[in-house]
Amino acid sequence: MKKIFGKNPQSLGRIKFDRHTLLLLIIFVVVMAFFSVVNSDKGFISGRSLTSMGLQLSEIGILAIAMMVTSLVGGINLSIVAVANLGSVISGYFLFLNYPPEVAVGTTATFTNIKMPDDPSTWVLVISLVIPLVIGILSGILNGYLVGYVGVPPILATLATMSVFTGLSAGITGGRTITGFPEQFSVVANETVVGIPIPFILFIFLTAITFVILNHTTLGFKMRMVGTNDTASEFSGINNKAVIMKTYIMSGVLASIAGLIIMSRTMSAAYEYGSTTYVLLTILIGVLAGIQSGFGNVLNIFVSMLILQALSTGFQMLLQTVRGSTFFKDFSWGVLLIIIFVINYLVRQKKTGVKKSSGQ
Amino acid sequence: MLKRVLRSNEFVVLLIIIALSLVVGSINPTFFTIASLFDLIRASNVYIILAFALLPVVILGGVDISFVAISAVASYGTHMLLITRGYEGGLFLYFVIGCLIGALAGMLNGFIITKFDLQIFDVSLATQTMWYGFTLFFIGATSNFDMPDGVVGYYSSFITQVSNETTGVTGLHVSIIYVIVIGIFLWWFLKYTMIGRGIYAIGGDKDVAERTGFNIKKITMVVFIIMGVLSGFAGIVQSALSRNFNPTLFIGQNLDVLASVILGGAAIKGGRGTVIGTVLGVILTQIIRRALVLTHIPSEWQKFVVGIILIIFTVIPALNEKRRKNQGRTTDLVEAMEEA
Repeated sequence: MKKIFGKNPQSLGRIKFDRHTLLLLIIFVVVMAFFSVVNSDKGFISGRSLTSMGLQLSEIGILAIAMMVTSLVGGINLSIVAVANLGSVISGYFLFLNYPPEVAVGTTATFTNIKMPDDPSTWVLVISLVIPLVIGILSGILNGYLVGYVGVPPILATLATMSVFTGLSAGITGGRTITGFPEQFSVVANETVVGIPIPFILFIFLTAITFVILNHTTLGFKMRMVGTNDTASEFSGINNKAVIMKTYIMSGVLASIAGLIIMSRTMSAAYEYGSTTYVLLTILIGVLAGIQSGFGNVLNIFVSMLILQALSTGFQMLLQTVRGSTFFKDFSWGVLLIIIFVINYLVRQKKTGVKKSSGQ
Repeated sequence: MLKRVLRSNEFVVLLIIIALSLVVGSINPTFFTIASLFDLIRASNVYIILAFALLPVVILGGVDISFVAISAVASYGTHMLLITRGYEGGLFLYFVIGCLIGALAGMLNGFIITKFDLQIFDVSLATQTMWYGFTLFFIGATSNFDMPDGVVGYYSSFITQVSNETTGVTGLHVSIIYVIVIGIFLWWFLKYTMIGRGIYAIGGDKDVAERTGFNIKKITMVVFIIMGVLSGFAGIVQSALSRNFNPTLFIGQNLDVLASVILGGAAIKGGRGTVIGTVLGVILTQIIRRALVLTHIPSEWQKFVVGIILIIFTVIPALNEKRRKNQGRTTDLVEAMEEA
């Protein structure tokens, strides 16, 4: 094992199924077992149901990874959803400039929809897919600069940039939802490969890449060091600012990929899609996954996402005749998080045997 | 003494408010009417109370995002409880029950945080999701527009009235009394009680505070009870003012309130923050909003402008801090010696 994974096995090298991963896996199995029994007549474990679950969880899952990498360096990125939307909006604007809808002579078209021709230029399509990624990188540079170089507390810096990015999208679209994206884009969200939705494959792929970056590269090692103790890392020769910058760029790119999936699924772009609910949800996933500054495993994000989706779909099926059944999932997520807090506390106490002081 | 006032964060915010008002007023003179002032006050009141709810938590060194959900469950829960029993009285009973629900919800936060040794932010994430879900699923998912007789006129219960041919009759809403009373109480509590000083001490340095003898668990608990009570109170005032009780009240506005508290000079890392500053922070936010409307900036671009202003307001203190650190805090020492 040691030879396969990295040069320094003692440093976070091997795949470690830590205690928290185990706890999450147990919870996942319990949740799945529970719902497959109580929802057995409604087909909880059917191909169709699993496919739809895989599709739904992917975009939030990728956003949760975008949030997680910043948590790892002791930060937070509230702007991820705003970046995802801004990428789609600018991409839509580019398509609109190339293919504006037809209007009466003498008037200019307003940016409300795109009129795709039957044979669009491949270059235009490719560029419109690259634009969101560029937006993601630029947003990362701005966030990384504010947090790393200026020293603004991450929660404030990204709260401000969230407002800027959302505001830019709102300004460009005039508050409207942009429709008419090319048919070719819908492939991503609507096709499956051997029954697995493409977004879910993307989610697995990005989880794997993030895992490799975090556990098998120097950047990942430095990120953990900065998150654990930034003074110590500074004095051991790590360029904290550059590491923070790279982390936020990574976060921005991941967010923009989630934006592409959203664009492909809804075939539209809007400044307010998801808004703050999605942001808070991704933080919740991080907390559920036990991500802390300097510590955390991206596999836990993956399993946490599976649990949340199972709870959401499961309760919706179970309570489908009850009024307001969609809201029960929020309640169950909050309760689950508190249960995990308590279990972790009990395990920790049993292990150390020492009662620690209260805290925040 | 005067020097300290002039250098204080509050004074800077006040100057910005005055400067901004002058600019807006010169572009659009309607800004300088009494009616406009009363309207500004009415719009600010609820958010000032919400900011008061958050302030002690921020001073303690934490960020809570669940207070909006507590507002929702307390106000909507109280309303549905009373309206289904045919209650026709005034707001007093609303406040009693609402604040009680708020206090219990706040206590739950405080209990989980102190008992299981957790981060304030993490716990508040769980409870905010839980309370909105609870309200929507167990209490009701639609806004309720039925008002008891005693609450119907609350919308326009003014202390004094002014009438104006363009805006009609407006006035100074009674909710300003709550703000003044709560503000004075909170100021006294934070400045002159042992628990209040403890909040600052914990926010400044938790270990030192603990060794000094402050009871961290008790103080944390009190902070969250205050937060719960004020959140519930603000929720009821807002619902009575907008004449409907809504299960998703204030949803997504927690970060806006946090921004106002920070604009008012509270430190996100804890240990610093004042009642006056918080009031000014909320008023500044409201004036910026109004300024954008009155200066005819298209509404879809307003969020962008607010974002730019937020960046400026977060970058300046960060740069100041950096400079102080680079100078090895000698300026602080010199200042302290001058004052002594």
